[in-house]
Amino acid sequence: MGHQWGQRSIWAQSAGQRLLLQVKIRTETPIVMFVAEIRNLTVRYGQFVALSEFSVSIPEGCVGLLGPNGAGKTTLIKTLLGFVDPSGGGGTVLGREVGRHDLQIRQAVGYMPEQDCHIPGLTAVQYVAYAGELGGLPPNQALRRAHEVIEYCGLGEARYRTVETYSTGMKQRIKLAQALVHGPQLLLLDEPTNGLDPMGREEMLALIRSISHEKGVNVLVSSHLLPDIERTCDDVIVLMGGKLIKQGKIADMKRVEGHPMDVELRLPNEQFVAEAEQLGLTLDFAELLVYRFQGTGTIGATSALLFEAARRSGAQIRRLNLAIRSLEEAFLEAVDV
Amino acid sequence: MSEPIVDLSYRGYGGPHLAEKRRWLVIAKMSWRIAFNKKAFWVFSGIAGWYYLVMIAFLYVLEQVGIAQKAPGLSERLFGRLTWCDQFLTGFNYSQLIWLVLGLMVGAGAIANDNGTNALLVYLSKPCRKIDYLFGKWMGVFVPLLVGMGVSNVFFYLYGVLNFREYGFLTQDPWLGPRLLLMLVGAAIFQTSLIIGVSSLFNKGRMAGAAFSAAFFLMTFFSLLMFVAWGVSQGGRRGKPNLELGSMAEKLYYWSIDGLQIGWAKVVLRTDGSAPFGADRDMPQIHAPPAMMVIVPMIVLSILGVGLAWSRIRAVEVVK
Repeated sequence: MGHQWGQRSIWAQSAGQRLLLQVKIRTETPIVMFVAEIRNLTVRYGQFVALSEFSVSIPEGCVGLLGPNGAGKTTLIKTLLGFVDPSGGGGTVLGREVGRHDLQIRQAVGYMPEQDCHIPGLTAVQYVAYAGELGGLPPNQALRRAHEVIEYCGLGEARYRTVETYSTGMKQRIKLAQALVHGPQLLLLDEPTNGLDPMGREEMLALIRSISHEKGVNVLVSSHLLPDIERTCDDVIVLMGGKLIKQGKIADMKRVEGHPMDVELRLPNEQFVAEAEQLGLTLDFAELLVYRFQGTGTIGATSALLFEAARRSGAQIRRLNLAIRSLEEAFLEAVDV
Repeated sequence: MSEPIVDLSYRGYGGPHLAEKRRWLVIAKMSWRIAFNKKAFWVFSGIAGWYYLVMIAFLYVLEQVGIAQKAPGLSERLFGRLTWCDQFLTGFNYSQLIWLVLGLMVGAGAIANDNGTNALLVYLSKPCRKIDYLFGKWMGVFVPLLVGMGVSNVFFYLYGVLNFREYGFLTQDPWLGPRLLLMLVGAAIFQTSLIIGVSSLFNKGRMAGAAFSAAFFLMTFFSLLMFVAWGVSQGGRRGKPNLELGSMAEKLYYWSIDGLQIGWAKVVLRTDGSAPFGADRDMPQIHAPPAMMVIVPMIVLSILGVGLAWSRIRAVEVVK
């Protein structure tokens, strides 16, 4: 990959004045705004269209690829890796053209497949070190990093056992370790919690969150399990039938239209509702001690009105927050079910 | 306060990378390591040289007889009966079965086991091309096969150079060394390409091995039948030779895996062979085939084997 020129804005101080300068900088690696950008991608398996005119920009950070089985999630990942030849369109991964710079893409990307995969006959540490060498690491570095990554993935002394003897949870971890060993900038995880028991699932999700939020690796998590995406990701891309349904920050997707507020009282209080309505607020719904009110003003104004209603009715507020919905509700709305 | 010995937490890698062109070598080295670490591999490599060991013992006895008789020129007469390249041809011929075992040991699971464990997803998701994988696997089988067969041949060749120079070991055929190398390399290329092709068709090494063995033995049985037919065609001491049957059996004898390899060895060593241990120089032998009769099928079958493997190598998941 050659040098590239990019543009940056910097502030400079001159004769007591601050000036905004546009400067050209030379970078060793391409400037990446998005980890991947897909344009009008169409992938066919014979007559079956797995992805149709699919366009998306995958931002940096931890991004969830959400969709039911057969939505095209795995096909998208395989296309990014160059395993599948698209019948139309294309895209870039970390600034490299898909189909033209597949080797450079795979150098910068780690892939954890959905199914079991390992090199037969090797111990875990041999396997991960071998994966590191395949990823371009010199043998001594590959072995050192294999030990580090296996330790990080929580396999400890099991590293000296052959992978064939591993439980499902351990196999998932070793798959993650082989994807990480060569130090990728982007990690593609395909159904990482597949076949795991609840505790194993929790540990795997914590590991993914640690990789993306503490170690600075961009992660694309493909899953049909909404709670997994909700637990690990900041952004989500929703696919269905090979088409992009919705994309955005999870926090934004969970936000309810307008800015309704949820208020939880210590004890039931009917007068509180009456006072709030008298102050111009609309009750959306009430469930046990939780009431959702919609106001016409700002969030601050609605909050002030709720406090006023509580004061007038003598109600004691336990919790007050901007109303949100679950990702499941957002997903169902997105796929129009 | 003590410093940590090593930071065991994950971190990115900013160090040097190996050239992309060397990925095949990484794969081949791993295959070599696995093959050469198997004790059975070295046991069978040793067994492959059984004819040479018996020959060495036989030559030793002849030498001792010559010394004991105190007859001048006896050793020259005894050793002068030997055609050295024929001994290598016989050794090669007799070790075909062992070579099959070595081939199965290092090659049957080469791609089949990877198919069964979805290992291709690991290989091909790294900066490693399909050609790197196939060439790496091919070299991973070829080199151990060559070593497995070469050990006994090199041993016997060096034994001959050191002990029988004065009896014409080097002068009988000055190009014997390079010819032996060519014989072994050619046969190893052929067998490697075939076994890699068969291996790519299966998801388990054992199944690939069973299929390859079945094909090998069926064809060897055919060659054996042709050998018997050829023997019958010679008519014995009193009978009349059947030239037509003999000619046909001679050609068909080479229509098998080991037949082609033996034919190749005869072509390269430029000999029809002779009775084992130099026993009877006049004993009739199946003639060496025309060079093209073995070279063309070997090349075609090798290309088919490698082509088959090439078409089967894909980053697809096997769902169990």
